[in-house]
Amino acid sequence: MLPELGNFAIILALSFAMLQSFSPLFKQNIRFVQIGTTSAVAQLIFLSLAMFILICNFINNDFTVLYVREHSHHLLPFFYKIGAAWGGHEGSLLLWCLILSAWTIAFVFFSRKNLPRNIYSTMIAVLGALSTGFIAFLFLTSNPFKQDFPDSPMVGNDLTPLLQDPGLIFHPPALYMGYIGFVIPFAFAIAALLDGKLDNQWARACKPWVILPWAYLSCGIVLGSWWAYRELGWGGWWFWDPVENASLLPWLSATALLHSLIVSEKRNVFKGWTILLAIITFGLSLMGTFLVRSGILISVHTFANDPARGIFLLSFLAFIIGGAFFLYAVKIKDFYQASQFNLVSRETALLINSVILLTAMASIALGTLYPIILDSLNLEKISVGEPYFNIIITPIILILLLIMGVAPHIHWKQQSILLLWKKLRISLLLSIVLGVTLPWALGFKIHLLTCVGLAFGLWVIISTLQYCFTSKSSNHIPMITAHLGIAVLVLGITINKSYSEERQVKLFLNEKTSLAGYDFTFKKLDETIKSNYQSQIATFLIHKNEKKAGTLKAEQRIYLSHDQLFSKPGIHYNVFRDLYLTLGAQHSDGSWSIRVYYKPFVRWIWFGGFMLLLGGFFTFIPIRKRELL
Amino acid sequence: MNIIKIKFVVPLLVFFLVVGFLWHGLKVNPNHIPSPLINQPAPAFTLPQLFSPNEITSRDDFIGHVTLLNVWATWCNTCLEEHDFLLKLSNIESLRIVGLNYKDDTSLAKQWLQENGDPYHIVAVDSSGNTGIDWGVYGTPETFIIDKKGMIRYKHIGPINATIWKKTLHPIIIQLRNETL
Amino acid sequence: MNKCFIFFILLFLNRYSIAAEDYYKFNSHKDQQRFASLTSELRCLVCQNQTLAESNSPLAEDLRNQIYIKINSGQTDKNITDYLISRYGNFISYRPPLDSSTVFLWFGPFIIFIFGIFYLFYIIKKNKQ
Repeated sequence: MLPELGNFAIILALSFAMLQSFSPLFKQNIRFVQIGTTSAVAQLIFLSLAMFILICNFINNDFTVLYVREHSHHLLPFFYKIGAAWGGHEGSLLLWCLILSAWTIAFVFFSRKNLPRNIYSTMIAVLGALSTGFIAFLFLTSNPFKQDFPDSPMVGNDLTPLLQDPGLIFHPPALYMGYIGFVIPFAFAIAALLDGKLDNQWARACKPWVILPWAYLSCGIVLGSWWAYRELGWGGWWFWDPVENASLLPWLSATALLHSLIVSEKRNVFKGWTILLAIITFGLSLMGTFLVRSGILISVHTFANDPARGIFLLSFLAFIIGGAFFLYAVKIKDFYQASQFNLVSRETALLINSVILLTAMASIALGTLYPIILDSLNLEKISVGEPYFNIIITPIILILLLIMGVAPHIHWKQQSILLLWKKLRISLLLSIVLGVTLPWALGFKIHLLTCVGLAFGLWVIISTLQYCFTSKSSNHIPMITAHLGIAVLVLGITINKSYSEERQVKLFLNEKTSLAGYDFTFKKLDETIKSNYQSQIATFLIHKNEKKAGTLKAEQRIYLSHDQLFSKPGIHYNVFRDLYLTLGAQHSDGSWSIRVYYKPFVRWIWFGGFMLLLGGFFTFIPIRKRELL
Repeated sequence: MNIIKIKFVVPLLVFFLVVGFLWHGLKVNPNHIPSPLINQPAPAFTLPQLFSPNEITSRDDFIGHVTLLNVWATWCNTCLEEHDFLLKLSNIESLRIVGLNYKDDTSLAKQWLQENGDPYHIVAVDSSGNTGIDWGVYGTPETFIIDKKGMIRYKHIGPINATIWKKTLHPIIIQLRNETL
Repeated sequence: MNKCFIFFILLFLNRYSIAAEDYYKFNSHKDQQRFASLTSELRCLVCQNQTLAESNSPLAEDLRNQIYIKINSGQTDKNITDYLISRYGNFISYRPPLDSSTVFLWFGPFIIFIFGIFYLFYIIKKNKQ
């Protein structure tokens, strides 16, 4: 009964989405525009209902629904049953549609009154068209409510063990809030192109709709990194996996968009560029979802899929984004407005920022897609992974950090280089000196690349703090927080990559091993049975310089419905380092293979990402209140 | 067309180029790894035979015949799927099927062949898997087509069935048969 | 008496200070680092989204053993990667080769950056006050 209702809810949502796409096109009559708005609300109601029903199906163990059967089990813990609703392709696509609808309503609620009617109606129609496309895709090819009724009693397949983690509850929703949120700036861009003009008011109205998804996407990426670290067993926090890269691409483009929007708002220029970036950013979001769901790439993230879905998504992507680029090509010349600024000016600095961020984005896209390109040309089959990306991205990031430290100090329109040098030379010197001496002070060996990374990261910190204390900067708290966040991230990455250590050993009970000055003693082994798995838990005592520093527990689980062993690492952490231990195979003589890792400063990486989120959040606090901070 | 117009069309052109590549990319299987050994001499090996452990097989045994080298193991379920078809193939006179028993237990292997039928002219036993590495084996079943001069001419990954035989493998075998030594 | 006492103390201490056996024993720390970096730059062909260092598949284990043996017998990093690439193709290396089909991959980013800088100067020139 419920699944049929869910199916019906999707059909209704689709109908309202179609109405939402067409009705506002008759913008002369306000009634038709209002029908568009009402349809959007109805769409949200029915999609929420569908999601609610799907979650109920999971909680009720309704295995007549194929999707539930494939991703759940009656012994699966309660919260994972909820998370499993978006653990597979069909359910996560429903979540996608729901979030798209939610963003539409948020836009209606906050911006409808501030926008002229023809802009608003174009945007609602564009949002409706996108909703229609995705809900149609859901209904026609990926319906989560598909049922069958076999004769034999049904057992669920259980959720993949890797997904049975709190990360499942938060990472996909945060990520989708980011990806999909960029639909609003995209709609703004289309509306501006069709309307034929773009002014400060447009930029000011659009800005929060870029910052909010950007913050969500940052959060989603950080959560993904943290989750992978805790789950995958070898202490890695970024793998240059194609789907990970696919999430980084819109983030880089959105950061460029954000900075370009600031210029458009303040100086009324770069409008064409802003519009182009808005289209590119959303286009990258769509390409990301295509890459994950089409089966075209190998990744730990991909849903199992058939190419037919890939064809639908690619065609949809080509139509929407191709159409947007076509509109841009035809209409953009109407937007050109010359400004006046010198070579050394904040305008230039922000343009350089765009060039760097887009070079990074294009390079990562190139590396990710290159194997597909060569394969489709019937040339050889290659892999492009960490060695390539590290070599390519490092110089780009260093240049970006350099500019990040200089830009806030440069005035709009023009700036004397001499004055700039005088202002910044002490900070520059301080960064270099600290960059070289910091490893020595922390007790580490000195490598060239480490000092370079530290110096550049410290440069951003020192220069940004200098700006913070020498100018009236309450308007700029978001920028300061976000830039500091990037610097903290860079410091974390530099130290972590330079000084991590690992060791693989065979241990018997009561034996110990040591790494990086810590001793790990294998104290005991327990067995336990939980709801849907059995586990062996190994407890280790950690000592440093003969004094007890803590304990950690590593597990090896066998899930009831999966035959494979699943290792859950034990982690002991503090602000400055993580100690990370994974159980490997148990040998016939009773000894265990274990891998132990020393990971300095890894939490700084996520904290830096969190500071980005904080910076985004600060933009929504009114300026007067910021002065209290 | 003046410069301004062209530069605005660039995003559209780049976009369609990317979409074109992605479209083609949908047609290939990303997991499928082609072998660098095609048109190279078969890698050297000396392995004992399954049913006569004191006798050795090596790549010299390929000379003068068109051979199908089939990599299999008793722990591989997909190998059982293709086994019936291999038995049919073994009836073809001019085709030799040589088995490479990969990382397996010899007594289990002998039992498996006795229970399910033996399509192989001989079976080489690669217990360590080192010969498999030399041949670039990464997942059973895999089948190599070797010509009369002992050169590898084709590698098929996955089980063989009638359709694959008719469409891909058989035409190659016919062509190789007509080649002289 | 003292000697016995010391002997027992040593025996007692010895039991608790047995350093665990390294799974892969190398002749030098540098060799160990070479092993770690080689295995993390090579792809597992079975679990294709993991490196040889990370994967638990039997083939990855076999290949790690081969690399271990080769490092200890004095082979260079290039020997080892050539050995693997000649058997499995360039797919097994996460570091793509530099040849005629990957020229654009390796130089593309630089070309894009230069192009961006030129376009930047063009815009600045147009807007100069």
